[in-house]
Amino acid sequence: MKHEWSIVAPGSLPPAGSVPRLGAVASTAAPAPAAQRLWLAVHLPRFTLDMALRGNTTRKACVLVEGEGRQQRITQANAEATRLGMRTGLPLSAAHALGEVLAFTRVPAVEQQALQQLCAWAYQFTPVLAPLPPDGLIMEVRGSLGLFGGLHGLLSRLRRELRQLGFQAVAFGTAPTPTAAHWLARARQTAPVESLAALPAALSQVPLDVMGLPARLLQDFCGIGIRTIGECLRLPRDSLARRFTPALLLTLDRALGRQPDPVPAFQLPACFASRIDLLWEIHHAQGLGLAMERLLHELTGVLRAQASAIRQLDWQLHHADGSVSRHSINLLQQSRDLPHLFRLSREYFLRQQIGSPVRGISLEAARFERLPAVTEGDLFSPAKASAETESWPQFVERLRARLGDEALRGLSTRADHRPERASCATVVRHAQRARPAGPPTGSRRWPDRPLWLTRTPVPLATEDGRPSFDGPLELTAERERIQTGWWDGAEVARDYFIARNQHGSRLWIFRELAGARGWYLHGIFE
Amino acid sequence: MTLEELMRRARLWRAGEASAEGGLSTGFDALDAMLPGGGWPHPGLIEILASRPGIGALRLLLPALAALGRRQQWLIWVAPPYLPNAPAMEAAGLELSRVLVIDVDAASAAGAATRPPSRRQQTAAEREFWAFEQALRFMDAGAALYWPGSLAPLALRRLQLACEAGGSLGVLFRSPDCAGQASPAALRLLLSPVAGSTEVTVQVLKCRGSLQTRECRLAL
Repeated sequence: MKHEWSIVAPGSLPPAGSVPRLGAVASTAAPAPAAQRLWLAVHLPRFTLDMALRGNTTRKACVLVEGEGRQQRITQANAEATRLGMRTGLPLSAAHALGEVLAFTRVPAVEQQALQQLCAWAYQFTPVLAPLPPDGLIMEVRGSLGLFGGLHGLLSRLRRELRQLGFQAVAFGTAPTPTAAHWLARARQTAPVESLAALPAALSQVPLDVMGLPARLLQDFCGIGIRTIGECLRLPRDSLARRFTPALLLTLDRALGRQPDPVPAFQLPACFASRIDLLWEIHHAQGLGLAMERLLHELTGVLRAQASAIRQLDWQLHHADGSVSRHSINLLQQSRDLPHLFRLSREYFLRQQIGSPVRGISLEAARFERLPAVTEGDLFSPAKASAETESWPQFVERLRARLGDEALRGLSTRADHRPERASCATVVRHAQRARPAGPPTGSRRWPDRPLWLTRTPVPLATEDGRPSFDGPLELTAERERIQTGWWDGAEVARDYFIARNQHGSRLWIFRELAGARGWYLHGIFE
Repeated sequence: MTLEELMRRARLWRAGEASAEGGLSTGFDALDAMLPGGGWPHPGLIEILASRPGIGALRLLLPALAALGRRQQWLIWVAPPYLPNAPAMEAAGLELSRVLVIDVDAASAAGAATRPPSRRQQTAAEREFWAFEQALRFMDAGAALYWPGSLAPLALRRLQLACEAGGSLGVLFRSPDCAGQASPAALRLLLSPVAGSTEVTVQVLKCRGSLQTRECRLAL
């Protein structure tokens, strides 16, 4: 830090908007002219708490506490806790006196990972972004404004989608430099600042504590009666550096656009994995709905960001007894359609037993498949229609999720004389729309065959040597001998007849040519 | 509630009113002549009550189903009582690549060994009913056939509404014991064999747009 400071000429401030010549910092990527960029900082003041609560709907007061033992103080509180008067800074012991409260503590590693995942999700809005630990994002949005209907449109969409991820409290700050945007967001100054010239005025009322300075430094400022950035900027530059720290001046210069303000490039992850821990043990699949929706919302955002879709959803349920059960849902057609994926998962878990109580649920998607450019509906048909009308693969997937893969079958014929083999059930595939190759319908000459086959031949009772089914059967004169299959162990040797009883039922029966020469019912001419 | 009030309610159907649905030819001239739209009410829910198995309840529908297949419409069979025989269906002109068979029993038989039954889980019959209703609501489905165990009048009403919403042809195969029950279906037919003949009597129990009950004989 020392050498960086040394290259900034001390003394009078350079005119606003000009970038001073730099030696040491010039090695970072040369930024575009600062005035053209617009940075949006997303500050999530209840990040840790919202992450912990996002899988449950709870009316209980929940707070995040930091500190040790009796020094534990509230740092984040949900709406109910705030209503009860559990403000930030209050000791946990005092909060207990105000009402029943659930207290959470931070797990920095989990938080860090969650922030990375949030960045992967937010990549759908802009490719230039970075996490702002511990509880925010910084995004360059100048290039995205046209697509999302201006800054106002982008902000309202972000706010709505973040709420669907489970983040109830969101603050935005917009400024030409990342640092200033971050400060504005933390100070809850939502009015966008579009030009560098307007920055000093916009920052003048921002309190110093948004800068994330060490506590000792803040105390020093407090001691000389300086509470806002504006007051700090009025101090002479050289004395500011001397009395406090040179790094402070660099930070201020970066915020005001007098120094380059680099943002590290964000690396997109190649796969998706996210987990929600539940507050209570869940015994029925219905209780997982909210958590599933949140996870799918996250996944579909990540997929949109990468112009990809998936063919398989891997759910994992983390049970209270420590076991993990895996549930994979295969799709016929690649998709990233949130309502469809949610419907599928819900149908699937309604059919499944979730077994022992569940404490956590996670979603993984390993293989992202690139989608062709136009994906979400036809360009020329209204988007609403494509969202509401289900396609055939989506319909079949939904049925399969609810009823099980085995419950759905297609039909096809096979060149085999044995009736039970000539008709075969096929697995439903996406390609079913295409007609299978083969001779055209009706060209094969089958003798008269019944529309129904019994699952297995049903032995028939006989009266005086004549078979009967709901009364004695009258056989037609023609018989069809089927004797084949000696090569594959399923040999049949039968004489088939069409039979009719006195009630008018037409049946397909056979007599075995070998063994007990018994009569069997094998089909019904329905 | 007075009769006048009742009449003003849109949900009430009066037998004399002409049916708005177009007909889908049954393929049997005698039957087409009997039905007000000149064929099966499409969209609409049909009930076929056959007194015995093997007298041709399915053959009655085959020409219409084949016609739907030629229009590349889907044909969904829900809970058939026996295995559909593909060669016979192909011979009857059905488009096999457009046929989907839904058999919940097959799935529960496969999964029964691993999963214990649960009180909260839907029964197989409930899931079949759900699948049939979804099939009727699905716009692309030309026709859906269903062999239910038993159905409540309210369930029938839901199916009729699903047909209208989805524009599909729904066919229920039920036992003739149900003939006495009220039903919201657009058309109800009772099939019974003719003694000493290979013909079948088709009796119209109820038909939208026509008050008379008529019957005809068909050789199926």
